[in-house]
Amino acid sequence: MDNKVILSIQDLNIKFTLRGQTLHAIRGVSLDLYDGECLAIVGESGSGKSVLVKSCMGLLDKNGFIDSGSIIYDGNDLAVNKKSKDWEKIRGGQIAMVMQDPMTSLNPLKSIGWQIGESLKYHQNLTGEAAKNKVLEMLADVGIDDPKRRYGQYPHEFSGGMRQRVAIAIAIACNPRILVCDEPTTALDVTIQAQILELVKGLQKKYHLTTIYITHDLGVVANVADRVAVMYAGDIVEIGTCREIFFEPKHPYTWALLSSLPQIATAGEKLYSIHGTPPNLFMPVRGDAFAPRNPYALDIDFLYRPPYFEVSPTHKARTWLLDPRAPKIEPPEVLKEIRNLKALGGDWGEE
Amino acid sequence: MLKYCLKRIMRACISLIIIIAVVFCLLRLMPIDSYFPNLDDMTEIQLYNAKEKLGLNDPVPVQLGKFYTQLLHGDLGVSTRYRVDYPITKILAKKAPISIKFGLLAMVISLPLGLLLGVLMSRNRNGIIDRIGTGYVVLMQAVPAAVYYLMLQIYGSNWTGLNILYNASVPSSIILPVVSLALPSIAWYAMWLRRYMVDEENRDYIRMARAKGVPERAIGFNHVFRNAIVPLIHGIPSSLLLTISGSIYVESLYSIPGMGGLLVEVIKMQDNSMVQALVIVYAALGIIGLLLGDILMAVVDPRISLTKKEGAR
Repeated sequence: MDNKVILSIQDLNIKFTLRGQTLHAIRGVSLDLYDGECLAIVGESGSGKSVLVKSCMGLLDKNGFIDSGSIIYDGNDLAVNKKSKDWEKIRGGQIAMVMQDPMTSLNPLKSIGWQIGESLKYHQNLTGEAAKNKVLEMLADVGIDDPKRRYGQYPHEFSGGMRQRVAIAIAIACNPRILVCDEPTTALDVTIQAQILELVKGLQKKYHLTTIYITHDLGVVANVADRVAVMYAGDIVEIGTCREIFFEPKHPYTWALLSSLPQIATAGEKLYSIHGTPPNLFMPVRGDAFAPRNPYALDIDFLYRPPYFEVSPTHKARTWLLDPRAPKIEPPEVLKEIRNLKALGGDWGEE
Repeated sequence: MLKYCLKRIMRACISLIIIIAVVFCLLRLMPIDSYFPNLDDMTEIQLYNAKEKLGLNDPVPVQLGKFYTQLLHGDLGVSTRYRVDYPITKILAKKAPISIKFGLLAMVISLPLGLLLGVLMSRNRNGIIDRIGTGYVVLMQAVPAAVYYLMLQIYGSNWTGLNILYNASVPSSIILPVVSLALPSIAWYAMWLRRYMVDEENRDYIRMARAKGVPERAIGFNHVFRNAIVPLIHGIPSSLLLTISGSIYVESLYSIPGMGGLLVEVIKMQDNSMVQALVIVYAALGIIGLLLGDILMAVVDPRISLTKKEGAR
């Protein structure tokens, strides 16, 4: 992995207007994406992970808008893009996306070949025989047998895993630089999940893709990610390499998230769960958004929003606990067990 | 595909045979006097002979059998009261083309206009066109047709100088009735197309197409419209075929000698064989319309042709 920044999000604020109220969905997120890396964004539902990524593709719902901040890609600020015309070159051609549910993300009335060819038509001006050959090549690339026969078939003739492979073929057909996988395995059979992850890993190498995984499955994260960003209430609360997040988490929210892994629970005991609910983002959030649910919360957490404290050059977290003046609080004992987990399936070898 | 079509055709034939039997038997239950205008003056012998002539003395199953063979030869029997002893097929041959002409013209106008309106409404949802269109649809659906038909006839003919009644020798006199027929159909097509297109807009594959970088226009046509039109297509053959039945109200308003009020008229006159023939003709057209609709659906929706499970795994 070289350290060239390919996409840079700076102090991004995204708001939604809903029934006359304003929802502050993304609260000042900054994030650099490095060329060729695989970044996983984790967080509970509603933490803004999808919104963050969608904003980079101009796919926000109509009532959502970028309030301030910038998204720098290739020297241009995508946040100022207004018309869908500006986005059409970015989408698919530069940043592509694989959606969550392959059963619904393909048009049931169009053949697979047509749907893959469609993006070729708009991004590479390929039509006719040339496009068809390229499509056949893509189908073979994503591991679909007998592409010639499959070319003319329709989505209902494919199983869930196969459809996700087709969706991946569509995404990478135009050689994008960034591939966004929005919970690509959530809707799939457990046995198929690993295959899809392997496939994406392979394609990432082959096409030199930078990948963003949006997921709440920490098993997937351990499997694929180089870096992990933990999101809570529209903010990245901790970001670091995979090892750092799993072995040396600093933010109480990350602790809580990891503690709720079923794999480290003791048999016969209740699974750990985080009490309370995420803050209401219709209201302004004061202090640390996680403070009300945080058993380790300090008084200052309720008053001032913590800045990022750097733990290592690659690892930073937004928590007052890292302030030199803060009392020393040890992470929960149970987190030590993560090191012993083979079940996560990750590659825990020495680096 | 072929198997699917044959299956549908088989089913259509069976339903038709059953309908004919039911209609035929029901009308045998009607009092006998409807066949003979001068029943009171007839002697027993005369009545017997007359019935014999019509084949009414046979047992009902035999009569039904004879009726089926008659139908196979394209013979719907003769009218008994509407025009005594005149073949029903000839009556229909004279009246049906008039209704069909009006119906088809109305459809040629309303289908493209309705679809266009539906597309425009869904494309700028909650915008000004959508509001106006919705207002129009609600008006057409909620206000009794009598109100706007009459207003159109009165003011339309007043302001434009068009004929207030239909006159076969004045071509422009067909405009008002055709417009009357088209108005509610436009609303109907627009309403459903808008609804289906709005449904499609929110599908995952539309989002996927957008994420692929497909231009909005192409998404609108290749994905949204293409998929939304499918449920509408099913009804088109039926509406096409049923133009033959005409519109009672429009035809009587403009005194058009079409099929419109025919069924009501012959029921009132107790012309049993006419009632029987008309009900069977309309039923047959309805069934054929649905059949064609099903086949058309199979053509536009690849999911339907798959009765066999192949390659799904």
